[in-house]
Amino acid sequence: MLPEWMKQTDNYVPPKDGGTFAIKTIKTIGNIMSRLKVQAGHEKKRHIPALVKLIGLFVMIVIASACQNRIVILGIAAVILAYLCTWPAKDLWGVLKPPLAASTLAFVLFVPAMIMNPAGIPNNLIVVAKVFLCVTMVTLFNHTTQWNHVTLALRRIHVPGIFVFTLDITLKYIVLLGNLIQDLLTSMQFRAVGKHDKKYSSIGGVMGVTFIRGTEMNEQMYEAMRCRGFTDDYKGL
Amino acid sequence: MNLIELNNITFRYNNDETPVLEDFSMSVVRGSCVIVEGDNGSGKTTLFRILTGLSFPEKGSYIFDGAEITKNYLKDNEMSKLFHKKIGFLFQSPDVMLFNPRVYDEIAFGPRQMGLSDQEVEARVEDCLEIFGLRELTDKAPYHLSGGQKKKVALASVMSLNPDVLILDEPYAGLDKKTQNWLTQFLKELKAAGKTLLIATHSSEGLIGTADEMIEIE
Repeated sequence: MLPEWMKQTDNYVPPKDGGTFAIKTIKTIGNIMSRLKVQAGHEKKRHIPALVKLIGLFVMIVIASACQNRIVILGIAAVILAYLCTWPAKDLWGVLKPPLAASTLAFVLFVPAMIMNPAGIPNNLIVVAKVFLCVTMVTLFNHTTQWNHVTLALRRIHVPGIFVFTLDITLKYIVLLGNLIQDLLTSMQFRAVGKHDKKYSSIGGVMGVTFIRGTEMNEQMYEAMRCRGFTDDYKGL
Repeated sequence: MNLIELNNITFRYNNDETPVLEDFSMSVVRGSCVIVEGDNGSGKTTLFRILTGLSFPEKGSYIFDGAEITKNYLKDNEMSKLFHKKIGFLFQSPDVMLFNPRVYDEIAFGPRQMGLSDQEVEARVEDCLEIFGLRELTDKAPYHLSGGQKKKVALASVMSLNPDVLILDEPYAGLDKKTQNWLTQFLKELKAAGKTLLIATHSSEGLIGTADEMIEIE
């Protein structure tokens, strides 16, 4: 038997003010998730083994960091920029945003030193350029290599299985739990039809549920793996 | 008068070649019960995402209560809240709907949002606890309940907002026979009270006498 209020239509007018924090948070998480999910777009075109790329990245970072010769640094920059020219314009901002942010931060940190010692400006700018190059190389690697290929490459160079396993599962669960958070916030948004006074309490609830769900999923997955013969020796996915 | 109208909508995910819905149209009269059937992956959930304003078609229009629902329309905070107040959506998985520490708070979340007085909130929650048989679980944490109980709490938390339209994505999934029969009876009562119901289900037998229309998505 339905109560009277359920049989009637509410004459409800939502308040004019009211937070849109759930929508903003959903969008932010959505953006991060889409970046994690869609990261193999360029790998298909030029299939270089992840192991080669991983070792190449490590060597290039060491060279770029340790090298004092400006010509070599300019040469690395030229190669990277030439490679970026082959990328579609729509993807460039995604690649260049992190290195630009990192090099801007480095530049800001060097400003006092540049003011106090103008003679050192060229050297300071080289450090800023090195930051830009290293972060660009890492971002390019990230954009062109799937995570499971990276972890497989780590396994091939004999990184301990437990480390690779933890990394692999963590990366997978970031996406899964991110989707869960997004769904929870969406359902909250559907019911947040007025002024949301206890937003931090609700966000705390969402985080708490995500943590519990994450723990449950972790246990369930481990048990499912054991049932299929997993003996703690992880080969990679 | 049609409460919901979908006119020739096409929707695809992330530039997929094959659209999930293509040139799809439907209309729902106020106070009617519509059952949406289709195989797994046929686009039932996508249709419901469009109806609830979570996704937007690339072609065609969606009219709800005389207003065209677009991204821009729902950008207006007031309109968005009014839209969500009118449409109650039960997700396929109740796990994504429960984020409060107690069953009582979960059900009270909506009425509190509406700015109802404490007495009104309590009255609504008490009624929901009674109807859904959740009284013994009042102080329990929702995420520690069984699947069927979670579904009941999720539905109670939607119903406490008293929406005009109820959209249910696979409401019978994971419920035992007794709870399924109870849900069928509850939905019949809602329809008799003038609520508009859209239900995606594989087991529509119990609702055949209640449904005004059955839509099959291929």
